[in-house]
Amino acid sequence: MSSEVSFGGALSGASEVAHRTRRLLLVGFVFLVPWIVIVARLWFLQLERGPHYESLASGNFVRESDITPDRGRIFDAKGRVLAENRPSYDIMASPNILFRNKEVPQLLATKLPIDRDKLERLIAASETGAGAEIVVRRDVPRDQVAVVETWKNELPGIYLRISQRRYYPFDSLAAHTIGYVSGISEEEARSWESTGYTGGDQVGRTGLERWFESILRGAPGLERNVVDVRGVEQSAAVANELLGSLRRVEPVPGQELVLTLDADLTQIADDAMARTPSGGLVALDPRDGSILALYSKPGFNLNAWSGRLSNEEKRRIDNDPFKPMLNKVTSSYFPGSTYKVVTAMAGLEEGLVNPKTEVDCSGVFHYGNRDFRCWNRTGHGEVNLSSALAASCDIYFYGLGVELGIDRLARYATEFGFGEMTGVTLPGESAGLVPTKAWHETHSDGGFQFGFAVNTSVGQGDVRTTPLQLALTYAALANGGSLYYPRLVDRIQLQDGTAVYEYPRKARRQLPFKPENIRQVMRGLRAVLDTEEGTAREYRLSYLDAAGKTGTAQVRALDTARLDGAEALFADRDHAWFVAVAPADDPRIVVSVFVEHGGHGASAAAPVAMKVIDRYFREVLGMDEAVTAYVDGSDRTRLHELLHEPEAVAAGAPPKVSGEPGVPMFRSPKEGSGSVPEVRP
Amino acid sequence: MKSTRLAGNRTRNVDLVLLFLLMTIALVGYVDLHSSANVAVTGHDKAHLIRLTVGLVAATAIGFRDYRFLERWAYIIYAGVMLLLLAVLFVGDIRNGSQRWIDLGFFDLQPSELAKLAVIIALARYFHDLGERDRLGFADLWPPALMVAFPCVLILEEPDLGTGLVVLFIALTMMAVQRISWLVIGASGLAAAAAAPIMWFFVMHDYQKARVFAFMSPERHLQGDAWQVSQSMIAIGSGGLTGKGFLKGSQVQGGFVTYHETDFIFAHHAEQWGFMGSLLLLGLYLALAWWSLNIARTARDRFAMLCSVGVGAFVFWHVIINIGMVTGTLPVVGLWLPLVSYGGTATVTVMAAMGLLTSISLRRHVF
Repeated sequence: MSSEVSFGGALSGASEVAHRTRRLLLVGFVFLVPWIVIVARLWFLQLERGPHYESLASGNFVRESDITPDRGRIFDAKGRVLAENRPSYDIMASPNILFRNKEVPQLLATKLPIDRDKLERLIAASETGAGAEIVVRRDVPRDQVAVVETWKNELPGIYLRISQRRYYPFDSLAAHTIGYVSGISEEEARSWESTGYTGGDQVGRTGLERWFESILRGAPGLERNVVDVRGVEQSAAVANELLGSLRRVEPVPGQELVLTLDADLTQIADDAMARTPSGGLVALDPRDGSILALYSKPGFNLNAWSGRLSNEEKRRIDNDPFKPMLNKVTSSYFPGSTYKVVTAMAGLEEGLVNPKTEVDCSGVFHYGNRDFRCWNRTGHGEVNLSSALAASCDIYFYGLGVELGIDRLARYATEFGFGEMTGVTLPGESAGLVPTKAWHETHSDGGFQFGFAVNTSVGQGDVRTTPLQLALTYAALANGGSLYYPRLVDRIQLQDGTAVYEYPRKARRQLPFKPENIRQVMRGLRAVLDTEEGTAREYRLSYLDAAGKTGTAQVRALDTARLDGAEALFADRDHAWFVAVAPADDPRIVVSVFVEHGGHGASAAAPVAMKVIDRYFREVLGMDEAVTAYVDGSDRTRLHELLHEPEAVAAGAPPKVSGEPGVPMFRSPKEGSGSVPEVRP
Repeated sequence: MKSTRLAGNRTRNVDLVLLFLLMTIALVGYVDLHSSANVAVTGHDKAHLIRLTVGLVAATAIGFRDYRFLERWAYIIYAGVMLLLLAVLFVGDIRNGSQRWIDLGFFDLQPSELAKLAVIIALARYFHDLGERDRLGFADLWPPALMVAFPCVLILEEPDLGTGLVVLFIALTMMAVQRISWLVIGASGLAAAAAAPIMWFFVMHDYQKARVFAFMSPERHLQGDAWQVSQSMIAIGSGGLTGKGFLKGSQVQGGFVTYHETDFIFAHHAEQWGFMGSLLLLGLYLALAWWSLNIARTARDRFAMLCSVGVGAFVFWHVIINIGMVTGTLPVVGLWLPLVSYGGTATVTVMAAMGLLTSISLRRHVF
């Protein structure tokens, strides 16, 4: 160090150097303090709270949207599509883009019909720029899609979202069984939050769509997109870079249902029921409980109910006296004389009658201080079990009813499956009602009276059964005593057709009756069709022995003779029933027909059932030629062979049968099974 | 003088440490700016690179000049800058609500940036002239106090709280190497305490107060100023230990961080490179500040020593206040990050300061 100072302020001595160094060191330490504070702050932000900020950052740039899974399709037994999906377009709006384009909502309103509420919501959204994307219009027709596409540049923030809609190729065929879907409201979505539904999701409302909702629905996937601060989606490259494999979670498609139902037979049922405004029909295979047709009338259009149903249309259907939305095959009604099998079986089992026991029907039955009349005012004369069933003599069963008592009758009815749900995989099934003494004590004015057993013995009074219950009960009689669970779904399968569950052919129970007694009852049921006094003899098929039972259930107790035809108010008319089994000796089909307020069972319901059976064998099972050959006498063995070797027949049967000549049985589904979106106003 | 003889030595004396720190920080800054969002559109990275290069050349040029011309011209330069500061209040462009710029046609001049350097030179000259005296009292200190207060008031009037603060901190740091009587220190402390409420009620602007409020209760101000800071904090925090990587900072690329090329560029840096990258940059800055103190230690004269301290303080406090603000540690005051933030005047100013430091460093062994 030099002490030569050539100019003022230069260093002047060792002490000065030491002082300078000390001071600079001090400054250096002072610098260290805020520096460490900043480093500590960064430590806290980046390491301590790093994960927290990471999730905040993800929340910023990741926009998640659900991918709706393919809803499982529903097929009939022959693989025809009953319910499938078609693409549909929703018009969407994103508030944060509208925020910077406040003129868009008004402009949109000049191009498309938009509800006033919706427009107000869009304007409100453009003011705040906040909130989730808004559905402007759901499932818009093609021309509106075109409008949005055309005006894309003038309408920033308005875009199309492709989604799926349910499509039912057969419109209203088997509507009650298939059921419809509709979007759930935000409110419903909240209450179902745990199940992962969001507002607007399609959910099954009735029928199989509802019962199998969790199976058909599948699991939604997730798409994550990268957005910038304005909510504008970034390029796929950016999204891949930032999210990688997290970008997309594939949806799991819903599983598919293959039904035991035959669409042809359901159409046949519809044809057969053409003349009746209201009723139901069940056809099932008595050998395993598989349901072949499940038909309720009037029906409704599934596509209309799954889409945009106008308020007028909804009101019209809601006010329809024939209750189109009610599934009549699982609703319960007075069974009338079809219930006599219960009384007959109870009488035989309890040893109160044997097949030869004869009762003299004079047309009236005195019990207590009341007269119970037979439907045949003049009386049937001497009847035994078989002829009583054949002619549907009330007097025979009145007497049995009195002897059995209401509770014993009820026990047999319960054995037959009445008064309990069949377990069909459909929502809203009625258990029906089997009245007992105890039931009457609490439900009838004045409590139980002995006369109730008399009414009950012929399916009147308070007994109520569903057409499905009757079909299963008759099936049990026909197959020798196995009361089956109804099989409506044959199997559940994956989208590629791999079966994941096959519904078992399972009996609920074996009827605990002597086989001989079952045979005796069946003999009576055959007599209904093939004896002179049989109530349904005029509807017997020339080539086939069938068994069955008519029922005419009084809806209102009238002192005068039963009213029929136009004289009676519709709602006062009797319910008509017919349950038929064919062939009687080797049963293949049971048909239970219920014609609500249809009048006589014999004239209103029996022809329907027999027509269905006739066409089932001729058309569905493809025995038409054999039947013709049998009828004209040219070949009597072929039909016999076919009837007793069912599997061989089924394999050789023509795949598709048409109804009336020249008229396609069904409106054929659109080409590519609905992939062309049907535009509805 | 002996300049011809020294010429050979000068190149040998070039401060390689300073050059290394300067270029490393500038490189980091260029990479950050280059990877910032929308750069392809704005081309700011190229402009910044050109400015840095020009600045570096200018700094070297200044470096080879003897800094003592500055000493001679100190008060003239100071007066000129003060005039510009006055002028900006009348003819300056107003941007983002404050009047800081004079449009020179080819260049937007920010006199408040020059004021930092002017104050450093003027104070250095003053204390140089004062010589090495013990226990500086009020009589010695009111002129430098005025020299600092005058530009501070003008800068706060623009308003530009950040720059005002930096000028104040530079002055305080330069004062710290003086021998000042305890009486003055105590009195100044008291005066500062008394001045705080006056500043709050009469000097500070509403938007500045809003930032302070936002700083104190961020959750209540999520839409305004605090939104800026909270997005910046999210960017920094989400960087984690090693960062999201080059061009992968979602917060910046998605436009969530505002002013990500200028005042908030550290958020971008920290998001992209994580805690490691942040620590590296902060370490470089601390090294630069310390190195300038080292240059001060070996400086040939008091003027040079004080200038070095002033330049070191200038860079250091800029960094601390800027990063303090983007990390939510301090209220938002609007300051750039030396050598890294995009900005013309900022680059020119910091390069001029570095030039001064180079010049001082070159001549450290003269005596």
